[in-house]
Amino acid sequence: MTLPILQLRAVGKSYGTVRVLKGVDLDVKRGEIVSLIGPSGSGKTTLLRCINFLEAYDEGEVWIKGQLLGYHSKGRTPQDRDSEAVIAEVRRPVSMVFQQFNLWPHMTVLGNVAAPLVLAKKINKTEAHRLAGLALERVGLAAKVDAYPAQLSGGQQQRVGIARALAIEPEVMLLDEPTSALDPELVEEVLSVIRELAHEGMTMVMVTHEMSFAAKISDHVVFMEAGRIVEAGPPARLFGKSATPRIQQFLKPWLDRSLSI
Amino acid sequence: MNVSPEHIELLWRYINAMLVTLGVSLLAAFIGMAIGFLLNVLRICYPRQLSIPYRLLVWLIRGTPYFSQLMIVYFGLPVIGLTLSATQATVASLALYSSVYFAEIFRSGWNSIAPGHLEAAQAFGINRWQSLRHIEMPQALIFALPLLGNQTVLVIKESAVASVITLPELTMTTGEIVSATYDYVGPYALLILCYWLLAQTIALAVRGCATLLTSPQRTL
Repeated sequence: MTLPILQLRAVGKSYGTVRVLKGVDLDVKRGEIVSLIGPSGSGKTTLLRCINFLEAYDEGEVWIKGQLLGYHSKGRTPQDRDSEAVIAEVRRPVSMVFQQFNLWPHMTVLGNVAAPLVLAKKINKTEAHRLAGLALERVGLAAKVDAYPAQLSGGQQQRVGIARALAIEPEVMLLDEPTSALDPELVEEVLSVIRELAHEGMTMVMVTHEMSFAAKISDHVVFMEAGRIVEAGPPARLFGKSATPRIQQFLKPWLDRSLSI
Repeated sequence: MNVSPEHIELLWRYINAMLVTLGVSLLAAFIGMAIGFLLNVLRICYPRQLSIPYRLLVWLIRGTPYFSQLMIVYFGLPVIGLTLSATQATVASLALYSSVYFAEIFRSGWNSIAPGHLEAAQAFGINRWQSLRHIEMPQALIFALPLLGNQTVLVIKESAVASVITLPELTMTTGEIVSATYDYVGPYALLILCYWLLAQTIALAVRGCATLLTSPQRTL
């Protein structure tokens, strides 16, 4: 049996006195697609951000490929944290797609995708541009390499965000509500890119409100509420006949809508 | 109107005075910009140690008239044995005066960067220094550029104060011409035109810089 690529053990996070994550356990195996669903404020995004230490978790453990992320000892105070360089090294297999794209506005599309390769992976500029071009081709934006982010539609910007996350050749991709900032027309172009990555076997952890998409694409669906995992399992169980009343209640509007159409 | 030798001489004096104004102001603005930029980088790198001294400096220099600062530099520093020429005193005091305004411009430029851009850098393993250099600085500069140009124009106009320590710049020269000819309207109209021309030149230069900064060739 192979080691899960991501292992979360009793992960917790507090902002001051508010405990937003209350001991989350989760394993993600290579090639798996895990969707995090649940009401707003349930801690999905915070959990995702803890997986690459954009948010410093303060309880439990996050393991990436068998390496503990962020801390070098048992304690979880800022003094126990690893240096930025060590954290960067451990999170290297992980890349991220942001809800608000977070493209760098002063760089062209090609520059955005190439920047992590040049700056973090120390690949020379010519090679980085070639790799960035390939990544942009995969998301169907080869024609836009010289454009600036502001000249693109939201959907195109998010595809650049995906290309940037792909170019570093990640082993896991974290997607934080990748389509929430897009209008309905643009959602589909981004989802189809993600679908393609799924078919190619990319490991993904995705926070999403696109229930139909999550139901079709995921190997596991995790329903969170109030900082806890309420239920986790295959989509057929959660979206079909979950025994948990809270999940039925959460999914009811979506089910009603899909039945009435 | 016939063009007499007096007219040509007058024109020549204005051109010279304009060059003095431009030279002194640009030099002061560049030094002020450099100091302001440095102040800001230091403030970002050592927030705990330097945020209070920084605020104190800004408060002190912004809260007092430039005239008094010039007086202290020109007439006050000789008391402690540092005598500056009128030109040196003007450049030094203008640079000091403008540096805090420039620092505040850079500060607002930095504050305008969306936190998400820094998070993206962090998530992709780009370290703090690289992020400062490649992600934050270019964005802050693009944001700050029009304000930097604006502040430079203000420095040019503020340099008129140096006429009181007999720096032969535009305002001083115009005053001399007025007292020799008793004509107020002509010389001061010309003075206004000269300052306006200088301001337009700066505005054009800023526009040029903006085009350069955002050109696709600058892709990383």
